[in-house]
Amino acid sequence: MHTTLRAYSILVLFAAWLGLSFVFSPQVLPGPVPVFQAIWENMASGEGFYHVYKTIFRVLLGLLIAMVIGGVFGVMMGISLKAEKFLESWVMVGLTIPAVVYAIITLLWFGLNDSAAIIAIGVTAFPAVAINMWQGVKDIDMQVITMAKAFQIPRADLIRKVVLPQTVPYVLAATRYALGISWKIATTVELIGMSSGVGYMLNYWFGLFSMTQVLAWTLTFTLVLLAIEFLLINPFEKRATAWRAVVQV
Amino acid sequence: MKKIVVNNLTKHFVLKDQSRLDVIGGLNFEMEEGEFLSILGPSGCGKSTLLSILAGIEAPSGGEIEVSGRALAPRNNGIRLGFVFQQPRLLNWRSIRDNIRLPLEHGALSGEEQLNAAQRYLELARLKGFENYFPLQLSGGMQQRAAIARALAIEPEVLLMDEPFSSLDELTARKMRAELIRIWRETGKTIIFVTHDIFEAVYLSQKLLVVTERPARTYDRIDVDVGYPRDYDDDRLFEIAKKVSRLFLKMEANDAS
Repeated sequence: MHTTLRAYSILVLFAAWLGLSFVFSPQVLPGPVPVFQAIWENMASGEGFYHVYKTIFRVLLGLLIAMVIGGVFGVMMGISLKAEKFLESWVMVGLTIPAVVYAIITLLWFGLNDSAAIIAIGVTAFPAVAINMWQGVKDIDMQVITMAKAFQIPRADLIRKVVLPQTVPYVLAATRYALGISWKIATTVELIGMSSGVGYMLNYWFGLFSMTQVLAWTLTFTLVLLAIEFLLINPFEKRATAWRAVVQV
Repeated sequence: MKKIVVNNLTKHFVLKDQSRLDVIGGLNFEMEEGEFLSILGPSGCGKSTLLSILAGIEAPSGGEIEVSGRALAPRNNGIRLGFVFQQPRLLNWRSIRDNIRLPLEHGALSGEEQLNAAQRYLELARLKGFENYFPLQLSGGMQQRAAIARALAIEPEVLLMDEPFSSLDELTARKMRAELIRIWRETGKTIIFVTHDIFEAVYLSQKLLVVTERPARTYDRIDVDVGYPRDYDDDRLFEIAKKVSRLFLKMEANDAS
């Protein structure tokens, strides 16, 4: 039922695209056929894989940094009021500064290389992770922890069986959110200062005014992100939160 | 030998402004093996603190507690106590069976023995057929039965119950009380049941311990000499409940003066 609905929604989107492409000239809005043809040619030449790989590599490493720093910040803010008061403004400042500023600063500091991109991604995405984890730790149900203590459950078991499972939905939300941010900042950094990656290719084809290629690269990476969502995150979430799909008996 | 001896138990907390809050001002009681005792007192009188101390969650400030002749402190001294809270406090991401199994997982039992024990108490709590359900799929009463099964699964020497039926609707609570009496009689457990509901205490228990407002002190002990199974409409129970009500009024009048 939901799958068919999803399929229809994508179908409608493509139909609208196709319809509009007849209205506008190919320079303004090329139809799906030439765009997919361009994707196919990019991939067939091997160039597509190279640039997608470069972007994914930067996104994943940056995401890892964001998850680690954001996780540490969030957990500390969740368990200690002092840490909350101390770190809150950092997270808020981090959240407020436009991503492109981080891109410029890291490129100036570290030069036009992968580390600049990775650090820019990590710094940009960490506040979102911190906020989610902060909320997640605050929402931990103390009542079940008291229960576990009353049943003399050892500390390591308590953390593994009672505390961590409660944070799973928040870790998932943080990952999802940070992944979206990471990919956007990655393309920005690549566009400004890299000579590889999807952002670089977007800039290249922007210079040549090729709408077909701009759409082809955008769509390529959108498909990659959708694949990550539906092949990795979504199945894991379904398994981890199966207990929520409930019907009262 | 007495099953439980509580001797001059006191508990105070030191608040943030360094002032001292006396919660328990001296409690004394004894229980025989297999007895059902209710502790009855006004809301916020420190009854739950008493159970937390018995469960080893809080440390007492003074006095002694002995279970089967052994001192309870420190860290419960290997004495197993089952705890049923006001809320079921189940882990929502675990099935009913795995919830009941949870407190056994760090013990000496093999995986199969754990499952057998979980199954036995699950059936005792009349949850057969719901082993693989998740807590949120069950009604509040069934969740509370799972919580009782979990507490019994560790084969506790004493079962501690902290107003376990107060968040249920009255009809469900009545059924649960009857179920509890059946389980108590089948297992012969020693039960300490904390409540502020006078009739609930009278209906369930053999003995009542009436405690004062905070700081909690023993105010009176009352025996309920009515055989089991008891009937909700039994006039003898009503008479005792009335007597306890009058006792509470008198206690409050004393406090006011």
